[in-house]
Amino acid sequence: MTLLYTEVEEELRAAVRDLLADRCSSSAVLGRVESGVESGMPYDAELWKTLARDIGVAGLLVPEELGGAASGAGGASAREAAVVLEELGRAVAPVPYLSSAVLATQALLTAWGAAGGEVAGELLGRLAAGEATAALAVPFAASPYAPPAPAVSLSEDGTVTGTVGGVIGAEIADVLLVPVRLTRGTALCAVETSPAGTVQGAVRVAPVTSLDLTRPIATVSFASAPARVVATAGGPETPWVREALLRGAGLLASEQLGIAEWCLATTVAYVRERRQFARPVGSFQAVKHRLADLWLEIAGARAAARNAAARLAEAPVAGDITVAVAVAQAHCGAVAVHAAEECVQLHGGIGMTWEHPAHLYLKRAKADQIALGTPGDHREALAGPADLPAPV
Amino acid sequence: MNIVVCVKQVPDTATERKLRSEDKTLDRDAADGVVNELDEYAVEEALRLKEAHGGEVTVLSMGPAKATETIRKALAMGADKAVHLHDDALHGSDALGTSYAVSQALKKIGFDLVILGSESTDARTGMLAAMLAERLGAPQLTLASKVEIEGTAIRVERITDYGYDKVEASLPAVVSVVEKINEPRYPSFKGIMAAKKKPVETLGIADADIAADQVGLANSWSEVVDFAAAPPRAAGTVIKDEGDGGARAAEFLASKKFI
Repeated sequence: MTLLYTEVEEELRAAVRDLLADRCSSSAVLGRVESGVESGMPYDAELWKTLARDIGVAGLLVPEELGGAASGAGGASAREAAVVLEELGRAVAPVPYLSSAVLATQALLTAWGAAGGEVAGELLGRLAAGEATAALAVPFAASPYAPPAPAVSLSEDGTVTGTVGGVIGAEIADVLLVPVRLTRGTALCAVETSPAGTVQGAVRVAPVTSLDLTRPIATVSFASAPARVVATAGGPETPWVREALLRGAGLLASEQLGIAEWCLATTVAYVRERRQFARPVGSFQAVKHRLADLWLEIAGARAAARNAAARLAEAPVAGDITVAVAVAQAHCGAVAVHAAEECVQLHGGIGMTWEHPAHLYLKRAKADQIALGTPGDHREALAGPADLPAPV
Repeated sequence: MNIVVCVKQVPDTATERKLRSEDKTLDRDAADGVVNELDEYAVEEALRLKEAHGGEVTVLSMGPAKATETIRKALAMGADKAVHLHDDALHGSDALGTSYAVSQALKKIGFDLVILGSESTDARTGMLAAMLAERLGAPQLTLASKVEIEGTAIRVERITDYGYDKVEASLPAVVSVVEKINEPRYPSFKGIMAAKKKPVETLGIADADIAADQVGLANSWSEVVDFAAAPPRAAGTVIKDEGDGGARAAEFLASKKFI
């Protein structure tokens, strides 16, 4: 197993990077942040359509038989998805890739793999083709090691009622995947947000003031919203949610890597250009040693993130991925935050400017750090497999 | 319809470009190679014409071994096959030599329509389309901002200083395009995967019946005598408004042909 990027991964990266360079410059993202607050739509739907449909990134995890690009024989896998996330992190792109093409898709894939469900297959086909966007109605901060109990209930008439907070990607979702509690066991339900004839107000997405402006969270409420059951489970567990959160956490590491790389590259470029005392500020040891340390941290983060992506790719449906994911998440979150902090600091006054994108990266890095399990959750999860139990 | 698109790998304009001091040719290893931007519009136009009229799109690129990256991008965008004209004897060819080599390769491949970008970002002669047409005895329709094909007739809107000309010719023809013509697509993941399986034929000068004494640095008609780094940008002209500021600004723009 090599963790280096393959030729296909580099070409995919080039395509995504070209698109983002054309359509997702930092000034475009800042503009979207401004207008998103007013319009209630933080995402760039046109950019997402080009990414999902034309470049085809939405189907990277979906098997070929369902219309996606994933296959065991040289097709796409979590490694390609990880490269896309690196680029999206590097641009803090306001697109629902993580929420739709990773989290929601993984939940559906688990449901489809377990029971071969018709609903899951149909939804995956639509998601892979970029015809629909989905979101998993679970708090973004939920830990994969202790997924929250479903807060929504399913009535006998096939409608769901309840409220979930802290959801990402709901504003742009055509389908919401909701874990629900049954009298005995749990289920995963699919709620269409805009089918013809839906009772108005059955699904409400209320924006919440969020730290991360490029991927804000929202509160989603269902009031007797018509739903389709995607899969059911007998116990109190929600296996689809657990799997989605765990695999999502593994891939989130690549987004964090992308954030950190942008911060380092941008800061290095800045300190080479900015002069003080008649020399570039980057020539001062106090500055360059900090950046050299950061480079080392990022090298470690890249190894951890690539390892997680490769393990996920090797075990697309099951398998022991916990160690790789927990190592990556325990490490990459802090690296991204540190990189973003250094970026703000070493840019001096300009780093504190609203018009400079540095704050977007710091906020994204901070939100990512507590998303899908905190570094502490992931370290705790490592205790068992690494045979290092916490002191009693 | 058999469409051949000529693409060139050029050093990334975002990086510093250098000439090699020993033979005064472009140092292609010093910068990242990218597809010449205008050639992406040519590939896109070829793909659109193929989608509308059927046929096949062949990519032709002349360049060193690493030009295969450029060829793969064109294939990932959707071209069907590629020909890579690659021979050390071609190194340093000027526009005349290049047009001779490319025209020989085109004769070997066969074509109904040749499309290329109107100029490259490195050499910037903008001459290749005209030279190719002359050598191939085909009509040249340069600087096209719109291409229409009906049967064997090809109609082109050709950008000029005063607007555009409508010109018409019959196939086979050589067309060069400007960036106004379309919006090039991004390679899709499936396209990238499919490109790996598409045939890329490599031709040396003997394979394409190219006479060695007409190409290469030694046989170039033009010669780079000397080169120097561009001088740092001089201060611009400052127009102080004394009531006639607007008129003088307009005069300046007119003298540079902006208005």
